[in-house]
Amino acid sequence: MKTLIIIREQDYEWLDHFFPGIHPLLVPICNKPFAEFLIDFSILAGSEAIRLVMDGPLSDVERYCENGNRWGIPISYASIKNTDDLQTVIDKNQRFCSEDRILIISGFVFIQYDKQYNYKTIFASLPDGEILSSNRGSLRLRGSRTETQHDMGNIPLSLLGFDSIDVYYRLCMEILNDISSPYVLPGYSNEAYCHIGRNVVISKSAEIRKPVIIGNNVQILADSIIGPKAVIGSNVIIDRESSVIGSIVLENTYIGEHLEVQNKIASGNILIEPESGISIAMDDPHLLTGIHQSGSAKSLFQSIVHRLAAILLITLQLIPFLLLTPILILQGKWKKSTNSYFTAVSEKYLILTTTTIERTGPFSTLASALSLDRFTLLFRVLIGQLAIIGSWPVVATPSSITEYSKTKSWYRAAVFSYAETEEWPVNPGDTAIIERYYAAHGNPMKDIALTIKALLNRIHETNTHP
Amino acid sequence: MTFHIDTSTGKKLGIAALIGRIDSKNSSELITSFALWQQQTSLFVFDCARLDFIDSSGLGAIVSCLRNAIEHNGDLKLANLSPKVSMVFEITKAKKLFSMFPDTGSAIQSFETNGTE
Repeated sequence: MKTLIIIREQDYEWLDHFFPGIHPLLVPICNKPFAEFLIDFSILAGSEAIRLVMDGPLSDVERYCENGNRWGIPISYASIKNTDDLQTVIDKNQRFCSEDRILIISGFVFIQYDKQYNYKTIFASLPDGEILSSNRGSLRLRGSRTETQHDMGNIPLSLLGFDSIDVYYRLCMEILNDISSPYVLPGYSNEAYCHIGRNVVISKSAEIRKPVIIGNNVQILADSIIGPKAVIGSNVIIDRESSVIGSIVLENTYIGEHLEVQNKIASGNILIEPESGISIAMDDPHLLTGIHQSGSAKSLFQSIVHRLAAILLITLQLIPFLLLTPILILQGKWKKSTNSYFTAVSEKYLILTTTTIERTGPFSTLASALSLDRFTLLFRVLIGQLAIIGSWPVVATPSSITEYSKTKSWYRAAVFSYAETEEWPVNPGDTAIIERYYAAHGNPMKDIALTIKALLNRIHETNTHP
Repeated sequence: MTFHIDTSTGKKLGIAALIGRIDSKNSSELITSFALWQQQTSLFVFDCARLDFIDSSGLGAIVSCLRNAIEHNGDLKLANLSPKVSMVFEITKAKKLFSMFPDTGSAIQSFETNGTE
């Protein structure tokens, strides 16, 4: 079986007022993008391929879901006209729909299912036609069944028309309140009603009251109260003595000090009262703001600070570099390689010669401890091609373009990586989390402190630049 | 901002209509004006029917007005808050500090029943 998901702009355009800039399929429901619920259900129903068909923009969702490898199911994309009816859509996707049995999810609907249930057998046995419908869409099967007919009976399956901010809010609260959690939710959970993501900093005096879902890279500062019934998205800061109760805080949001967010949705600088649908946009650093990427003034200051730090490091490393490098070159322990790397600017590359030092013997150990392998890269900081600290430069190859595109919102190629300031990262995923965290929460002065920490960590480091 | 004195309840009430936005650009103007209004009375109603937006500076200014009114044995009540402005008072917990009324009439009336002065 294959799944054809057809979504029309007219069904979701109301969302743009509340969550501008977020693709409707990427709107998080309990910190999981809406699209992922549709993908999960399609897999549970026995689909072997998914095609997403929309009359609106698809690029954001395409960038997020890619070819479906993450879920182990091929995902493809197609555009339609807003005037195309169901039959026209099927005709336009004839190659995808031919021969196979097709599950058609039509409309902007949330499918309420249970991850424990075996929908595959039931769906393979149901006749051609509509299975479920709601005011905002339907679920139907097309093509001949492969198994003998079963009765739909009382299978846990229903459709919820996703048509107002109140429906969105109630859906999130319902999922949060369900102890058996019929959906796979993101985050670590070793007890009911509590999912916590990675890199979450919770102050000792903060209070977490279940049920809660907390995303990645979240800071909950002193004396805050989170929950009951709170969904905190990724990259969120809840400042001191604030409470978030019965509310949803979407990613990249800052909740100021001493605030009481109760039965609300906060998204960036927008505060929404779900019941009435009233929303207010405020850009007040004392109340509610979006967490943005560095502005140009801040970037300029950051660049100056990084250059000054590079000058200082060059001065300190110059004599050891001049003394030790010739010895290491003669010993064959100074190995250079030249590659093309991505810069922070999309589709621009940078040719860098990086050095690895074979850590055997006193001279090479000393050179590594002094980070002399990074000495030549420091000059790139002076001309603004690299930052002093940021992300590992990503080698520009056809296969790494995908990796780069995922990180480019915060990627900043640098001499040192933020990951070098921590001892726990063991894989690229961990590294990405740390780099992203500091890219969002860092500042130029913090960068200097982190560079010093990275330099100190490198004294004990056994491996070199990946 | 407009200001007038209402004596319909037998008391001298200062009715101020807040208009547009109160933010960091004009919050000091409210505090200055309030000091002048206090020369005439210590009982106030802020009519917020035409108040579209308020930020933390504006909120600070209104709280400062309340504190000044109380220090002079008076009071400050708010009327006609739009849902958006009301939401700011709610999340900042400032709602607990003020007496709020759905319209100016009931705010004025409240001074008659349990008013100060």
